[in-house]
Amino acid sequence: MEPIRKEELDDQACGSLAPKSKPCPRPKPGEAAGGCSFDGAQITLLPIMDAAHLVHGPVACAGNSWESRGSLSSGPSLSQYGFATDLSNNDIIFGGEKKLKDSIDYIAGRFAPPAIFVYSTCVTALIGEDMDAVCKEASDRLAIPIVPVNSPGFVGSKNLGNRLAGDALLQYVIGTGEPEQETPLGVNLIGEYNIAGEMWDIEKLMNQAGITLLSRITGDARYKEITWAHRAKANMVVCSRALLGLAKQMESKYGIPYFEGSFYGAKETTYSLRQMAFLLNDREMERRVDRLTEREENRLAHDLRPYRKILKGKKAVLYTGGVKSWSVISALKELGIQVVGVGTNKSSDEDVQRIADRVGDDTEYIPEGGASRIIKTVKERKADIMIAGGRNMYVAMKEQIPFVDINQERHKAYAGYEGLLRLAKELVDSMVNPIWKLASSPAPWDKEGNYDR
Amino acid sequence: MTVKRRSKPVSVNPLKIGQSLGGVLAMQGCYRAMPIVHGSQGCSAFPKALLTRHFREPIAVQTSALQEMDVIFDANRNLEEALNAVLSKHRPDIIGIIGTELTDVAGVDYQSMLKSYKRERNMRGGLAFSVTLPDFRGSLESGYSVTVEAMVDELIQQAGLRGQRNVNSRQITLLPGSYLTPGDVMELKEIVSSFGFEVIALPDISTSLSGHLLTGFSPLTRGGVPLDSMLQSLQSGLTIAFGASMERPARRLHNALGTPYKVFQGTMGLKASDELLNFLHQISGVPVPIRYCWQRENLLDCMLDAHFQFAGVSALAALEPDHLRSVSEWLDELGVEQKALITSYETPVVAEMEREVWVGDLDDAEVLGSGADLWISSSHGIAGAERIGAAFLAAGFPIWNELGSYMNVSVGYRGAMEWTNKAGNLLMRREAEHRESRVRHR
Repeated sequence: MEPIRKEELDDQACGSLAPKSKPCPRPKPGEAAGGCSFDGAQITLLPIMDAAHLVHGPVACAGNSWESRGSLSSGPSLSQYGFATDLSNNDIIFGGEKKLKDSIDYIAGRFAPPAIFVYSTCVTALIGEDMDAVCKEASDRLAIPIVPVNSPGFVGSKNLGNRLAGDALLQYVIGTGEPEQETPLGVNLIGEYNIAGEMWDIEKLMNQAGITLLSRITGDARYKEITWAHRAKANMVVCSRALLGLAKQMESKYGIPYFEGSFYGAKETTYSLRQMAFLLNDREMERRVDRLTEREENRLAHDLRPYRKILKGKKAVLYTGGVKSWSVISALKELGIQVVGVGTNKSSDEDVQRIADRVGDDTEYIPEGGASRIIKTVKERKADIMIAGGRNMYVAMKEQIPFVDINQERHKAYAGYEGLLRLAKELVDSMVNPIWKLASSPAPWDKEGNYDR
Repeated sequence: MTVKRRSKPVSVNPLKIGQSLGGVLAMQGCYRAMPIVHGSQGCSAFPKALLTRHFREPIAVQTSALQEMDVIFDANRNLEEALNAVLSKHRPDIIGIIGTELTDVAGVDYQSMLKSYKRERNMRGGLAFSVTLPDFRGSLESGYSVTVEAMVDELIQQAGLRGQRNVNSRQITLLPGSYLTPGDVMELKEIVSSFGFEVIALPDISTSLSGHLLTGFSPLTRGGVPLDSMLQSLQSGLTIAFGASMERPARRLHNALGTPYKVFQGTMGLKASDELLNFLHQISGVPVPIRYCWQRENLLDCMLDAHFQFAGVSALAALEPDHLRSVSEWLDELGVEQKALITSYETPVVAEMEREVWVGDLDDAEVLGSGADLWISSSHGIAGAERIGAAFLAAGFPIWNELGSYMNVSVGYRGAMEWTNKAGNLLMRREAEHRESRVRHR
């Protein structure tokens, strides 16, 4: 019998309500890389720092994944705790709902979090646990929001998990609270996770421009601020593949206009700030943004000068997912780096279009995973550096290719004007490191003609 | 002593690592191997990310990428597709199919599927086997040893030996436990071979995950024990297993081929090292090499120097069962009070320990070990150690806050010395910090 592929989910275009772009492709067995939907949902919600995140399933889904994100917190750290219902064989046979309820009670009693997110996993979904009912009952009884996140690993890719997490926010969180004080010109950032503290750089810029950051969805967020996200005047979608759907639904439900933008590179940063001011429809603010961006761009151009001298004409292969595949290209171009290969693995059709707008005709597209494919491109195109995620870092090291980590596990913030400077420095430091010369020269006794015999 | 558990419904800050990760780890110690995790994508992505982060090496692993409907209708179709892709693209020597909790709960029969696949494709010359490693039982340690056991079974079958072995009494098969680092495995190989033995480690992560620069990319494992050495190992005159969890694979070799075996449950400290070296001396008739005699003196001197530091100190350790036992023996020799010993799941070896052992998580470690001076666990324990004000010593898996931890040595006299100095230095630094904060400023 021909298994029925999950048509319904696939028909939903990535991130949008109406099917527009191609559906998320089915991962190929034996050639697949990357995480599952459960992983994706966690990535999206874990940066809500003061909430408890409870994984309902056998222990390893939590045990193998907690503390693996570079999302930084400015205060509370409860989200860094790994909570799991740790189902045993018996729980799976007789059902784990009682254990889930007890776990929720225990967490609420001991940690008093403002909210608990409960994640389903493959096993609990397969045995048909009614997580929604348990959460609802506990939520009523304990009088704190308990949000079920129905994104078991086997429903699809990491990306789908991002979207399912967005759905959970829309259904259970957004619109359930009101801001402490009226903010007439507030903006939400959607899909910015404060990796390595990037959000803080952006927040600083927004503050300087006088734009209020109303809700952070979800980098370094507090649960409360997401409940009042519906009071924003505009939404900026930073990682479009993941949470564009959330912005679209907020537009239709609350009438909040949105735009997709990025903070990688000075141009993109300036564009994003301008766009915010434009959507807020405030003349005074637009003028302030213009003054700020001009000042920052001038200062950056000055600071970048020594780096650009070294980076000019260098070639890079960029392999990353989603939004970064196109937004980082702009940043690299500003540094004078030519992108000779770019991964389009996790990019939507719009993303691919954006990539095409930004690169030349002779750039190679790398449609799917496989480190060998990336390495091949680096070699064939004689690239000077590889820019990718941590998973490919050591592959590059083995091939002695300079490398800069751009994904969620990294420790440096590359967003905003400051971030571009940091990226330039990182690229230069990586490329001029003495190790490349040392590693490529043989040991003295392996050199030919070393001795007169 | 009995093993205890604190009663609480939820696991807080898990110590347990999924069994399937142990299976993937075991496969990394074989040359040109590819583990295929039969589960959803995350079941392979998480182990891959975690192992990469710990070893700072690329990790070979693939997935059958199950999705909901595949699980309901025919999960093995995905597995077949994965096998086809891996075989045609990479031609591995060894394939290990690792079943997860997902295939277990769904009741997928991939064992017989693999059998018929092998028959149909007339697969010869390589090893292909399957193991069932659901996460709701055991932990990294059991996943690793079960995989080695299955590997040994498959080897025996492949070789088709029935009693007509050419036993090579100068050759020894080592079965290193999952808690040993590549540096440990290297040290053990060196110690055993210094008595004039040929040594084959099974698996051998010391040549795959120890950091090397072989050029030419391959998605398969680089380094590790090659298949012909594995087959060669069946001729060994003796098996030495390190860690109680490795007794089962050793017993398989014994039952099928009659190879005698010796298990060393403890691998750390003076006594454990004495036992190993004396055993090797006895069976080989070779005097203990002079460098180990020196190292023994060095260790004793180091322990004398350090004993001031360790007197009156208390420690907690949260590790996998075999590792915990080993570390506990070492702490005993130093005279350190063992405030709390926590492990991920119950095994006979921890149940037999003379100390109280708790099965639990890192939150239990924090509660039970409150007031301890030294905290020994994976990097997941950093925050907890900070909260109770203990010095943090990274051990076990995963470690991400240190460079080169995969080359740390804990076995032999050298290993005990390394650990004693490291722990002593941590305690000294902690003491200095305390003193500094107590200085009165006028």
